[in-house]
Amino acid sequence: MSQPEAEFLGIFRDEANERLDSMSATLLAIEEGRGAADAIDSLFRDAHTIKGGAGMLGLEAIAGLAHSVEDVLAEARTHAGLAPELVDPLLRATDALRQLANDEPADPEAIAGLIVELGGEPPAETPPSGDLEAPEPQPAVDSQPLRLVSERAAAADIEAPVVERRAADAASASVRGRTVRVPAEKLDVLLDLVGETVLHRQRLGHMVASGDPAQRELLADELDVGDRLLGALQDAAIQTRTLPFGSITGPFPRAIRDIANTEGKEVDLIVEGTETELDRVILEGLSEPLVHMLRNAVAHGIELPGERLDAGKPTRARVVLGAEQRGGLVAVTVADDGRGVSAELIAQAAREGSLVEILARPGFSTHAGDVSGLAGRGVGLDVVKLHVESFGGSMQIDSEPGTGTCITLLLPLTLALLDVLLVERGCHVVGVPLASVQEAVAVSETLSLTGHAALELRGTSIPFGDLADLLGAEAPPLPARPPAIIVAASGRRVALACDRLIGESEVVVKDLGPLLRSVSGYLGAAILGDGRVALLLDPANATAMRPQNRRSQTVEETPEAVADGVAATLLVVEDSFMVRELQRSILEAAGYHVETAKNGVEALEHLTVHGGIDLVVTDVDMPEMDGLTLTEAIRASTEWGSLPIIVVTSRESADDRRRGVEAGADAYMVKDSFDQHALLETVARMVGR
Amino acid sequence: MSGVHVQVRVGAELYALPVENVLEIGEIGLLTATPGASRAALGVRNLRGDLLPVFDLAAVLGLARGETPKRLVVAERAGCRAGFAVDEVTDVDLLPEGDQEVDSHLLSSAVLIESALVGVIDMDRLFETLEQDAA
Repeated sequence: MSQPEAEFLGIFRDEANERLDSMSATLLAIEEGRGAADAIDSLFRDAHTIKGGAGMLGLEAIAGLAHSVEDVLAEARTHAGLAPELVDPLLRATDALRQLANDEPADPEAIAGLIVELGGEPPAETPPSGDLEAPEPQPAVDSQPLRLVSERAAAADIEAPVVERRAADAASASVRGRTVRVPAEKLDVLLDLVGETVLHRQRLGHMVASGDPAQRELLADELDVGDRLLGALQDAAIQTRTLPFGSITGPFPRAIRDIANTEGKEVDLIVEGTETELDRVILEGLSEPLVHMLRNAVAHGIELPGERLDAGKPTRARVVLGAEQRGGLVAVTVADDGRGVSAELIAQAAREGSLVEILARPGFSTHAGDVSGLAGRGVGLDVVKLHVESFGGSMQIDSEPGTGTCITLLLPLTLALLDVLLVERGCHVVGVPLASVQEAVAVSETLSLTGHAALELRGTSIPFGDLADLLGAEAPPLPARPPAIIVAASGRRVALACDRLIGESEVVVKDLGPLLRSVSGYLGAAILGDGRVALLLDPANATAMRPQNRRSQTVEETPEAVADGVAATLLVVEDSFMVRELQRSILEAAGYHVETAKNGVEALEHLTVHGGIDLVVTDVDMPEMDGLTLTEAIRASTEWGSLPIIVVTSRESADDRRRGVEAGADAYMVKDSFDQHALLETVARMVGR
Repeated sequence: MSGVHVQVRVGAELYALPVENVLEIGEIGLLTATPGASRAALGVRNLRGDLLPVFDLAAVLGLARGETPKRLVVAERAGCRAGFAVDEVTDVDLLPEGDQEVDSHLLSSAVLIESALVGVIDMDRLFETLEQDAA
């Protein structure tokens, strides 16, 4: 096939797909009785155009079938109506046309049968199925919606998650031909900017040639202009890579209708945010995962009409497919108002981390007739999750039993560039995709359970680790109060401590190449403005590991706990479980007996009932009775009035310290400066006196 | 094998790389370590806007590693590039036909030059080995 012919073929294919999308949407509307007044005219025009294009390119099978469709529609047009029983064969005809146009295997006999069904003459000789001899076989992405990511697309996308412009272009080319249709306005913007850049170059040349020192200031201004132009050019070029979300949603209503019919369910699909722009490579790879998620929603999420009535819901279920920009990301959601996942599963998710972790676990599936009530979601979600993560995106699942399920895919706007937060640890500069960074905090203390460190953040504990440990890199000890970034991916979070946050940057992602394939845990690397190379952390990998608490838990010198052979007994009063257990482990490791209480009331009760306490370590802010009131109560007691008391608090104002001392505390430690040495020394001083 | 070779010193030993595989010779430059890569990998560096993986030639050849070498030989084979850290580039010259026995699969032959033994590196095997290590 000659080059121009191949080009026309690509253009024809794009246009045919567009027109077929529009046809099946219109047919569905007619079927549901909400067809527009000119619906049949528009169907006729679409069929006619496809027939004409196919005829010019000598694609006889397509032209023949389109002709039959056109005849049916012409008949309907003159009689001002389309018989309802014709909608289904017409829909099947659009499917067949799509298969033929995309050069996918099609059954010639079925097509001949379809033509007869539509009232046409069967073709004299059945043409071979592969009517289009495209130079390369096209992977089937759009029109076999019920199978997950086609093998070829999956291989291309998952093995090469990253994303240099070249790689992305190649992937794009492999998905659909070599032609790319870009709206003229986008090209106009690009051309305008190129024109401006040429002028900018001429002005620069003039300034340099003049050699006039007075030009120096102008030169600096002109360089600023250059910066702005480059930024705008970059944006405009990226714009040519993007397509509206609506460009892939065309076949979905049809797919939902078929699945719903098969399942005996009534479902409305509402598509929102069709104008949201996404990278075309991401978009093309998204089609099948989305159909899969929609299918899951209808097959497993939505109840049968009877069940819905019993549950007090309308019999027609709603599935909402939406896309919206959120900062530098696009959130694509599939939400249904079905049965949701079971309460047991939600409880399991709370124990194990998140719903995503359970439902997208490889092999997790909901069996037909499952009696355990797990029915909800999950079939093949692991593949969808992997696919999304290969683009540097993430997946999130929310569900409420009886109310519905919402799956959110957070995707980058473009593959070529990545917004990262650059952080420094030792001599390493590491980029973390901004999409996965929730916040940065200063770490004043960490907690520990079974040797794993954790960080308390607004009442929840988050696994905590040194970025150097995650990298497996040598690095000097962390500074005091090191910054930590909270990274979220795959429904998990991890806090990673580093030396310094450098700032945000937009970087070009480069593959590490075949010789460093074994280096796992990175999306790739980027060359920074100063020429240094930064590794780009893969958030999914970072959150999957449990950082070992390597440095902070070793007690190097333990002050003597046992002064005269009898270990002292300490009462730790603290409402936070994690902090309480941390203090217990530190003090027990130093040889003390430790009793605990959750607040002042419990502490006083303990002193009254059990006695035998040699020293009290108490927090200030606690429910029921705070630490200062407890201190005053102890001091007021005749029995334990002289008991040593250490107040440990996050309050650090002089006023609070004064209040602590006034209440009668012997020592006052601020959590920010809290370290186990100071605590152990203070305790040793007081019980050893 | 004969032809022009880049001769390098690695520790106390001498090796030669076919010049047609050598793109350039330079300083080792600023490396970014790639924790998790094979033992021989020193990291990646920025070579005029491209990422270049850098390996310690001594470690690749199984020699004891002394201090990190300072010179870099950038080589290419079948479109795949890598930098090799060496202690010194001693010569770029025609190499006589190799006639000495070798027992490393990374060497195609060895030659005696002024009573020093020079191992001729088989670039295909070298890159294949690195790729296998990374698989």
